[in-house]
Amino acid sequence: MVIFKITQRGDEIQISYNLTKLNIINGGYVMRKYIFIAFGGATGAILRFIIKSIQIHNYNGNIPLNTLIINVAGSFLLSMILTIALEVWELDIDLRLGIATGFLGAFTTFSTLCKETVILMQKGFYFSALSYVTISVILGLFFAYFGIILAREVISKIVKDENNTEYEGEME
Amino acid sequence: MMEYLLLGIGGALGSITRYKLGKIITEKSNTSYPIGTFIINITGAVLLGILSSINANKNVYILLGDGFLGAYTTFSTFMYEGFNLFQENEKMNAFVYILSTLILGIIGYTIGLRIGILFI
Repeated sequence: MVIFKITQRGDEIQISYNLTKLNIINGGYVMRKYIFIAFGGATGAILRFIIKSIQIHNYNGNIPLNTLIINVAGSFLLSMILTIALEVWELDIDLRLGIATGFLGAFTTFSTLCKETVILMQKGFYFSALSYVTISVILGLFFAYFGIILAREVISKIVKDENNTEYEGEME
Repeated sequence: MMEYLLLGIGGALGSITRYKLGKIITEKSNTSYPIGTFIINITGAVLLGILSSINANKNVYILLGDGFLGAYTTFSTFMYEGFNLFQENEKMNAFVYILSTLILGIIGYTIGLRIGILFI
């Protein structure tokens, strides 16, 4: 494990520290992960609350559209970001945890989905309850698929093209 | 402003609990079935049922319901894992995972409502 490096260039002596490795020693590295998750989780919960309280103009349906949109959008973003982080670019692990586990995990919710479904059933709107759950899952799965495909097919190609251009530049 | 502070605290704690508990459950089980998210989502639904029936005051509900339990349970990971099971050709497991989470979540919330009534 390299904590600091001393390099000599002519008369100049340079000492560089590896801050990430230093953090492991004093326990800071373990803490960093939780700080990222906590910050992401707090932001996700607040944003969900704000979107949930928006009144959708002219919408009189029974299906809770706000939660549906939150959950479907979150499924899309999570799948896209995790695929990018695992297959396209190597993202800092703590940052990935902050965005995926923290922010998007907290932004989307399962408990509210259950509550809203039961409320529809209590009102006797059984068809709406069934539709709500079915649409949430079908759109959720479809957008998870879409996020993965977009990351693999589009974003990975953009990244590869950029690398190729750089490579060609070096060849000249 | 107070609302956002409560949501932030609840959301941060809910996310960390989900991460930590998910990790412990995954380490102890050796199955391809995403048992961590499964247990988290169902326990979260039961707890929200309890909270909803005890007539908690508005701020307590924002902290624990919208903040903590909203962040503790997750739909995005549920869909991501469900889709990955499909992709890995474990179609039956994917189907069982998604359907059982939904049914037990809804039943769990209803059981939570009943349990909550006992506390009033």
